[in-house]
Amino acid sequence: MTEPVDTVLVVEDEVPMRRFLRAALASHGFRVAEAGSLREAERAVTEAPPQAILLDLGLPDGDGLDLLRRVREWSTAPVIVVSAREREDDKVTALDAGADDYLTKPFGTSELLARIRVALRHARAQGGSAEPVMVIGPIRVDHARHEVTVGGAAVHLTPIEFRLLALLAQHVGKVLTHRQLLREVWGPRATQHTHYLRVHMAALRRKIEADPARPRWLATEAGVGYRLRDE
Amino acid sequence: MHPYRDDAPPDDPGDRDDLAVDVVIGVVGAGLLLCGPTGATIGAILLAVVLLSRSRPRPGVALHVLERVAACVGPVAAATAIGVLADAHLGLPDDAMLYLFAIMVAALGGRGAGLGAAALSVAAYDFFFIPPRFEFAVAEAHHFVTFAVMFAVGTAMGTLVVRLRRTEAASRGRERRTAALLAFTSDAASAKSVGDVTTAVAKNVQDVLGAHHGALDTEARELAAAIEQQAGVAIARLQLADEARAQALRAQAEELRSSLLSTVSHDLRTPLAIITGMATQLREALPDLPADQRESLDTIVDEARRLGNVLTNLLSITRVESGAELRRDWVPVEEIVGSALDRAGVALAGRDVAIALEPELGVVVDAMLTEQLLVNLLENAAKHTPAGTPIELSAAKDGERVAIAVSDRGPGLPAGSETRVFEKFFRGPGARVAGAGLGLAVCRGIAIAHGGDIRAGARDGGGATFRVWLPGGDPPALEATA
Repeated sequence: MTEPVDTVLVVEDEVPMRRFLRAALASHGFRVAEAGSLREAERAVTEAPPQAILLDLGLPDGDGLDLLRRVREWSTAPVIVVSAREREDDKVTALDAGADDYLTKPFGTSELLARIRVALRHARAQGGSAEPVMVIGPIRVDHARHEVTVGGAAVHLTPIEFRLLALLAQHVGKVLTHRQLLREVWGPRATQHTHYLRVHMAALRRKIEADPARPRWLATEAGVGYRLRDE
Repeated sequence: MHPYRDDAPPDDPGDRDDLAVDVVIGVVGAGLLLCGPTGATIGAILLAVVLLSRSRPRPGVALHVLERVAACVGPVAAATAIGVLADAHLGLPDDAMLYLFAIMVAALGGRGAGLGAAALSVAAYDFFFIPPRFEFAVAEAHHFVTFAVMFAVGTAMGTLVVRLRRTEAASRGRERRTAALLAFTSDAASAKSVGDVTTAVAKNVQDVLGAHHGALDTEARELAAAIEQQAGVAIARLQLADEARAQALRAQAEELRSSLLSTVSHDLRTPLAIITGMATQLREALPDLPADQRESLDTIVDEARRLGNVLTNLLSITRVESGAELRRDWVPVEEIVGSALDRAGVALAGRDVAIALEPELGVVVDAMLTEQLLVNLLENAAKHTPAGTPIELSAAKDGERVAIAVSDRGPGLPAGSETRVFEKFFRGPGARVAGAGLGLAVCRGIAIAHGGDIRAGARDGGGATFRVWLPGGDPPALEATA
């Protein structure tokens, strides 16, 4: 456990909420920086760039999404949006604007830490060269040879199904919105055709999952997108 | 106020007399000029007659009659005077012309005046000019022709004038009625209530129709129809405006309710997040707590989660009840069932959930709301049945729709509550289980919003079945890609 200590910037105006986040993060070995407003957050981000940001959207001096967009102009540090807004539109907007994840209040410590770990792992993986072979549970995705096995057995995927799975595997643990998936797989003109996505995801589930009605790996975020679950 | 309304009193026939008298004065003046100092005597007499006829105001009938007589006599007397003088000094070839002119002038007063003047002219002409002069005898027959012409001119002119006057009066009346109709239209257009319209009808109908007694003539009937139509238009306009106002009010109330609920939800979620967060944090930091204290912490976390679910349901029901547009997409049933089972995972812990879906089933729905519907049905089943009893979820095509059923092996529904369970805040008699009674109401709201239906009933072999029908759909055709 000699990993460098990661700093997480908590942008939240509710003091008790900040106290909970600080306690939860500190008890799991993170260094915590805090900001109670957009202005403080911008200063904190530029003065000492954190490894991850927990961002509340409703801030006293503006919308957290503005900070997200500005940070995304120069930083790839994972941003996890923490919000009381639970409508899928809000989630999609934040994810499309570059958020790595979206946590709806209320949530427990374990959920929070799991999301942060996924996001940090991601950020690190993207820093290095992409792994040619990814293993998620029983699923093995060989990017170079376009091969997929589940539990050691070869699975035949169509090119679109492979691209979908490879994309989700690259961002394992993270929700990819319908728009993001459609743009990556079908191109920028197909972003409205969510039914393409649903048909191919259903086919993919049937090939990957033991029980496609109770998917263990390919999780659906209703109205938002899909996520390949981490172990 | 109304530029079209003519408040002047109806035409006064006295104006006509004035005109006649003015003409007479003109004629007399010309006569005096012609005769010079020698005609002074006759001129003075004529002037006196004219002045008498001009006297105003007229206090009584006697004077009025006198005036009418003067209007007849004046021009004839003037013609006679001019004729006599002209004969003496200039030698006019035919004095009958002067009398024709006099008759025409007098006839401006009407047919009676024309005929009177004609009679007087015949007498005066016969007496003063036709030989033998100064007696009422006619020597030559052709003078009777002159007399006849004089009567004819008097009658024709008089009739013409009367007819003209009638036409004029009629057009004035029409003008007045049109103005009144316009005034009514303007009143009706500015009316703020149906009461205002009826007031405007009552106020203007008399003006518009004129003082009619008995049956209405064609014109009056047309006007009445116009009033009726205008009033109808005005009332329709008011009803439309009322409706628009009511709709705007409803939309405003809906917006208020919706924004109030999302504010409440938002403001409740943050404290809930703090409670949940702190409790889970404590549970983790104190792994060696005695069992009962640990249970307390678990209860705090569970209750906070339940409150969060109530908020989600409140928002969902607001969304469907506000009539907001649903985001309908074709979605495989399997996908919605999968995500609903995932979300209901905590409530379903320790249960055997059997799933039986017809292959390739799709529904055209709002994915988020439909997931909420299934989560509520699953949680409802889990809440009202003994722990560990099985739950079954099945889906099958039913005509154009897809029926999704959640069945349990619990105690079943209390008799007679099959429809009441979907009412808001309904709770079974002697319900042991805590709950706001919102979950099933949300299910019903979502089903109805999709044009679907939901029903509850007893299950063969014991337990209850909740079945929801949603619009079905085949997977959309895919363009050949990649």
